[in-house]
Amino acid sequence: MATETLKQFHRLPQSTYIDALRFLPPLSAFDRYVVVAAFNSDTDESAIGIHALNPTDAPTLTLQSSFTTSSRISSLKVAQKSLQSPLIAASTFAGSLHILFPNPIDASFESEVSIPEKMLHLGPISSLDLQESGSACVSVGEDGRVNLISVSDSGLDYRRVFDSKGLVSYTAARWASPTEFATGGLGNSLQWWDQRRPGGPVSQFKGNWGEGASCGVVHSIDIHPSRKHTCLAGGSYGSVFAWDLRRPQQPIILSGIGSGETQTLSSSDVWEVQFDTFMTTSIISSERVLPVMMCSEDGILAVIKQGEEATEILAENCAINSFDIDRHNPADVICSLEWESIAILTRT
Amino acid sequence: MPGLLTGSGDSSALVPFSPEANTPAVYPLHHGLKPPIAPRLSISWSSGNSIRVSVFRSPETTKTTDGEAEVGGKVVELKVSGEDVVSEVNDAARWRRIVYGSVSPFAHLQNKKNAMAALSELRHSAPSEVEWSKYVLEYSKEINSLLGNRKSSPSPLIEDPKTVLKNDEEPSCLKAAWELLEIFYANKQSHSWIPEQLVDWLTDYDSLFTGQVPAVHSRLVEFQTKLINIQTVENEAAYWQAISSALSIGWLDISVKLLRLHGSYQLNQLGSRETENGLVEAVAVLISKMPRMRVDLPDGKLGECYYNKSDFMKAWEKWRAQITKLDCSAYWLQCSHNQTKENLKNLLQIMLGNTTTLTNATCHWLELYIAHFLYIRPFTSGLESMHVLAQKCMQLKPTSSPHKLMNLIVGILGENTEVVLAECSKSFGPWMIAHATELLTAGSIQAEILLKEQRDNLGGVSIEESHRLVYAQVLSSHALTWQIAPIYLISCMKHGVGLLEILLYKQPVYHSQILLKNIEICRLYDLDSASANAMKIAGVHDWKHGRKGSGIFWLQQAGDELRLNRIAQTLFDFVGKSISDESFEQWEGLIELMGSESRTAGGLEFLHKYRDFKKSLQQVEGGGVTDAARKTCESLILIMKNPSTPQRFWLPLMYDSLKLLTWREGPLLNVSQTNLLLNKLQELSVAKLRPDFIKVELPAHALNSVMLALATNLGRAILEE
Repeated sequence: MATETLKQFHRLPQSTYIDALRFLPPLSAFDRYVVVAAFNSDTDESAIGIHALNPTDAPTLTLQSSFTTSSRISSLKVAQKSLQSPLIAASTFAGSLHILFPNPIDASFESEVSIPEKMLHLGPISSLDLQESGSACVSVGEDGRVNLISVSDSGLDYRRVFDSKGLVSYTAARWASPTEFATGGLGNSLQWWDQRRPGGPVSQFKGNWGEGASCGVVHSIDIHPSRKHTCLAGGSYGSVFAWDLRRPQQPIILSGIGSGETQTLSSSDVWEVQFDTFMTTSIISSERVLPVMMCSEDGILAVIKQGEEATEILAENCAINSFDIDRHNPADVICSLEWESIAILTRT
Repeated sequence: MPGLLTGSGDSSALVPFSPEANTPAVYPLHHGLKPPIAPRLSISWSSGNSIRVSVFRSPETTKTTDGEAEVGGKVVELKVSGEDVVSEVNDAARWRRIVYGSVSPFAHLQNKKNAMAALSELRHSAPSEVEWSKYVLEYSKEINSLLGNRKSSPSPLIEDPKTVLKNDEEPSCLKAAWELLEIFYANKQSHSWIPEQLVDWLTDYDSLFTGQVPAVHSRLVEFQTKLINIQTVENEAAYWQAISSALSIGWLDISVKLLRLHGSYQLNQLGSRETENGLVEAVAVLISKMPRMRVDLPDGKLGECYYNKSDFMKAWEKWRAQITKLDCSAYWLQCSHNQTKENLKNLLQIMLGNTTTLTNATCHWLELYIAHFLYIRPFTSGLESMHVLAQKCMQLKPTSSPHKLMNLIVGILGENTEVVLAECSKSFGPWMIAHATELLTAGSIQAEILLKEQRDNLGGVSIEESHRLVYAQVLSSHALTWQIAPIYLISCMKHGVGLLEILLYKQPVYHSQILLKNIEICRLYDLDSASANAMKIAGVHDWKHGRKGSGIFWLQQAGDELRLNRIAQTLFDFVGKSISDESFEQWEGLIELMGSESRTAGGLEFLHKYRDFKKSLQQVEGGGVTDAARKTCESLILIMKNPSTPQRFWLPLMYDSLKLLTWREGPLLNVSQTNLLLNKLQELSVAKLRPDFIKVELPAHALNSVMLALATNLGRAILEE
């Protein structure tokens, strides 16, 4: 496996456990901010904070503002309405959902709207995704419910799209277009939903449910805006695979055990996958899956390109729980480590 | 480790435990239940330091509440906060940083140890001592760097001449203790430089003694605060005392700096005090030229380094000759400032190694000890002679309440591993001792035997293992560090794996994140049964809380045939009952989830057939038409013939079809078909003896009725043929 040389790498110890983190779309031309969902084990408090990132040789994170939540954050997403200020969506393990609007001038929280616990889901919200325009949110849970939440100036409004009554548990969700989204669940299963065709998923990938040891849980999904037919998923036992709606029965396995010819980067849970927008060289043919970045329980942060050797970026001693690629400067990656720290790196 | 810590009063206790009975604290418990509450409480440890209290209502009261549904009990979790693991590092987050950081050096060293042992076994030779001590030193340095960096604050551009001591980061006793162990145990290569290493050590950590005993550091701090208000320093006794103290413990740079504050350096004084100034400067130069038996000196420190013993010897003699020469010089007579003259001579005495002067200049015995190394016996080597010297110093400067670092040094010098262990454990806690044993055993066979010998009074484990187990216990008590405990447990040969399994069982796996972590740990250490158990617990929890899909998934992952069969049973019970559209969807979905594995009783194929059979049976029972009944019989035989039909459904199937077996219009089954069913009954009676036989809930007379019906049918069929 190739390893990538980094232009910069810094590990910033925190005094809280980092549940999730995202780059915030720029509020102004000069500032860079990171949204961090942290859990303080000493005080049992969870909070979403905006930190200013000062990009020097020794970067620092300075807390600008903080919003306390009643429970730990299970999922954190950011979006930006065209040329307006960004918004932050977060779901909690207790089942509440919060939408926060940061003030573009001082990065304080201007306002917050939320849906309390037990309204959307029974138990935790396992994943949520915010539409790129910031106007709608999809939330899924292990209780088998799929909810759509519309975000408007007047507040939040939600409706239940589907309820499997516990027969299917969903663990990941991702928008594909303003009307379509994908969800993932147990047994490496994926579902494709279209709001124009209500009543249930329009297409399903069954995964390898029931095949014994190698059967896992999907932890994260990503869909590239330019290739909406391909759904990228990462889950248990190091599996990373792409599901092409045009060939729904044949997943393209990018990494994982039992994948035959393909490599195995990790055999632990893959916590997050994202299409890597940082391109250094060749243009990727439309037949191939776009480059993918993944982070895993055994501390691997790597980029996988179909048909090529994977590039390992980090190999940490502890789990990498989540990461985010800066959309405006894709060389920069930020990730949260299990041992209460944040890593910031710049690729060459 | 219950059992091991009992008998804490006697001296064999390994872990400090204060037997003083504290007055029990009473906390009210907010469970929100209406009285009366039956006196039924269940108390158990939850994850980390939480206590889980389950409060049950008495069953009668729950029954009598009519109208509103009331809960039968409540589970409350209490977080117990106590003293910190190490009182020294009172910031919990900083403490966890040390915990996290020490994992990888520890694991790395264990891997190396195992690899070396395997290699030496292969070659039938003892593992290389030199190589091993290299690894241990590496390990020690890594751990040391975790305990804090002594990065001095950047020096200001314009240095204040009146700032004698720099305000560095507060050093910690933990780091000081670790460095001591490193000097004596890990750093084998530089054993001949132990005296100079101790000088450096005291330079860094003298401030730690301040709180408990008077120390040179505090004397200097005190003097520095006064310094701003003093006009002519050389008239102050404190000034000279500060210089002599600093010089006595080898803080050459500070003493020179202080000397140069002497009034004779001032331009307007220079003319009248020329000789005096010359003497001060001569002493200052002599101080800065002091020969040191070491490789190099850090920036800003004074002295001249000699690597070679004979070179050092020559320089040392020469230096002392120069001091004696100055001492006997005639210039002293021309020095009019009496205090300067007296005190400069005193400084010369320090450098010449006058025991009385050194004793007066230093504050506690450790400082005197260091002064001895510097000015009297620079060649002291060997722990024995160092120990004798230490005892002499302790006699000269006795302390009533010795500092914990002093106790540690005495233990090390006395070559008493037990004392060192006890001091480490008493003063620095389980983290220290779990990590320091690696240093203690490095290169000392005696210590290795002591630490690694299995002891009956410790339940058959060695001292080393018991300390690791204690540390793992500490780690397990915190929600963020419990996942580190396996690394330490797995290095314990005897009880490690067993305790690891207990730790894993204790985790609340109904939180999916914890379940996944649990599975991952089991995967790393090949604990398949523990992982299967965790999945079973999670599966049953999910099933009970309505997440049926997730429940089945985890039970399938765990390979829990028993519970899957139970679920299949409930599914089977469903079949045949009046199925509304909604519930039909539910159980159809469940059948889908159960999969069609041949091993599983809930095979998809069978369930479909079973459902169809039940449906047609219902039609027959509704109003019997012989043709329909005959068809139903055919499907009964088909199901019975099918190998995927679970054995335990044979009897219920036949019992359900009693009406068919005793069909009024004539036998529906021919002789061979009846024989098939009879054979199945026979097989069942044999299977009953097997331990894995699953009993089906049927009326007691079911078997007899079926046998009677079959016998009747057989008779009628024979007659008919």
